[in-house]
Amino acid sequence: MAGFIRKNKRSVVILILFAFLFWLVTIQVKNGRFPFMEKPVLAVAGFFERIIAAPFRFLGSVGTRYVYLVRTERDNERLKQELVRLQIENSATNELLTENERLRALLDFKKLNPPTAITVQIIAKGNSPASNTITINKGSDDGIEKDMAVVAEDGVVGRVQAVLPGTAKVILLTDPGNTLAVRVQRNREEGLLEGKLGLCALKYVSFYADIQVGDLLVTSGLDGLFPKGLPVATVLNVTKHEASAFQKVTARPIVRFSRLEEALVLRK
Amino acid sequence: MKPRYYLVIFLLIIPVQASLLSPMSLGDIKPDLVLALLFIIGLLTGPWEAALAGMALGLLQDVSAASLIGLTGFTRGLVGLGAGFLGRRMFDVTSPSTVLFLTAFSLAEGIFIAILLQVFYGSVPFWNLLFTRLLPQALYTGLLGYFLLQPLRNRKIILALKRRDIQREL
Repeated sequence: MAGFIRKNKRSVVILILFAFLFWLVTIQVKNGRFPFMEKPVLAVAGFFERIIAAPFRFLGSVGTRYVYLVRTERDNERLKQELVRLQIENSATNELLTENERLRALLDFKKLNPPTAITVQIIAKGNSPASNTITINKGSDDGIEKDMAVVAEDGVVGRVQAVLPGTAKVILLTDPGNTLAVRVQRNREEGLLEGKLGLCALKYVSFYADIQVGDLLVTSGLDGLFPKGLPVATVLNVTKHEASAFQKVTARPIVRFSRLEEALVLRK
Repeated sequence: MKPRYYLVIFLLIIPVQASLLSPMSLGDIKPDLVLALLFIIGLLTGPWEAALAGMALGLLQDVSAASLIGLTGFTRGLVGLGAGFLGRRMFDVTSPSTVLFLTAFSLAEGIFIAILLQVFYGSVPFWNLLFTRLLPQALYTGLLGYFLLQPLRNRKIILALKRRDIQREL
C-alpha cells in the first residue's frame, strides 16, 4: 500500500484534494455557506474590478457629463429614482387592488410606504459558473447592510450577500443559494422561488394549485426581506407528475441581468 | 509554466472576467475566459499542474462570487485534469479542432454542475438550462477559445510557456 502511494504520489494528492473540495461543498449544502472568506477576497477582487472597470465608467461619464449638462444628469438620476419609486408604488397598488377585491369586508389596511433606496452602479458581474452574483459600487459607508433587498425598474434583482466599506456583493435571484417567498399575482398561490443558474424553480406548489404559463410571480413579503408585491418572475413552464404532491414550475426572472447597469438597494 | 505567469493570471483573470467580458454578453450568456484559459494551460502543461491550477482558479471564483466554496474548484480541477490528458494525446494543440474539445469541456462542466445542484438542492430545470444557457455558453466559450489559441500558433510563445517543462525533461 505504502509503495503504491509512493509510486503514485501525485495522483493520490490530486485525489485527496478533489475529495476535500467535494467534502467542503457537502458541508456547506448541509450547514450553509462559509462567510469568513468573503470579505478579504471581495476586498482584493473589488479593488481590481474597480481599476479595470474605471476606464469604461470614465468613458461613459464623459459622454453623459460633458456632452450633456451636469444638472441634466442629476435630474435624470432623481427622475429614475422617482420612476422606480412610482413603479414600486404602482405594483403595490395593483397588489392592494387585488387584495381589496378579495377582502372587501376588511378595512384598515396599512398604507404601504415604499422604502427609501440607495442608487448603485454595477461594477462587475458574476464570474463563477456555479453562481450568479454582481458587485456594486457602494458598501457599508453608504448605509448598505447584509440581506438588504436589491431591485431594478422592472422588479427584484436579489439581495446583498457581503458588504465592505466601498463595495458589496449581491446574490442574484438566479443564484442556486437564493430563495425568495413569492406568490402568484393572479390567484395568490404561494411558493418558494429558488435560483437555478439563469432560471428559477418555484417549489412547494401544491399539485392542485392553478399555475399557468405566463403567470406573474410577485414577492409575498413573508421572508421579511422584500416589500410585498414586487414583480419577480414569470412562469415559463409547469409540469405535473402523478407521483409527486408538488408541481414542477420553472420561472424566468423579469429583470434582464445582462442589461443591468444600475439598481436600487432598499433600506430595511 | 512559471509561477509568475500563474500569479499574473490569478490576479487579473477574475476581475477581467467579471468586468471586461460583461459588454460581450449576448443576452445572459457570456464567454467563460477562465475556462478557456485553463483549457489552454491544460494542453500546454499536463494533467497534474492543470488540475491544481483549475482547483486554485475555481476556488478563487467561488470565493469572489460568494458561492459554494469548492464547487467550481472541484469542476475546474476536473477540466484541468481532462485538458491535461487531452494535451498529451494531441499532436497539435493549436489545431482548430481543439476548439471543439473546449466547447465539449465547457458543456460537460455545465451539465456536471447542473447534476450536482440537482443532487444537492433538487428542482433543476435541466432541459431549459441546457438549451437556454449551457449550450450557448459552451459555443461562445469555444469561439473565445479560437481567438485565444491564435497566438499559440507562434511556436516561440509555446516554447516560452513550456520552457520549464522542457528543461525538467532534459
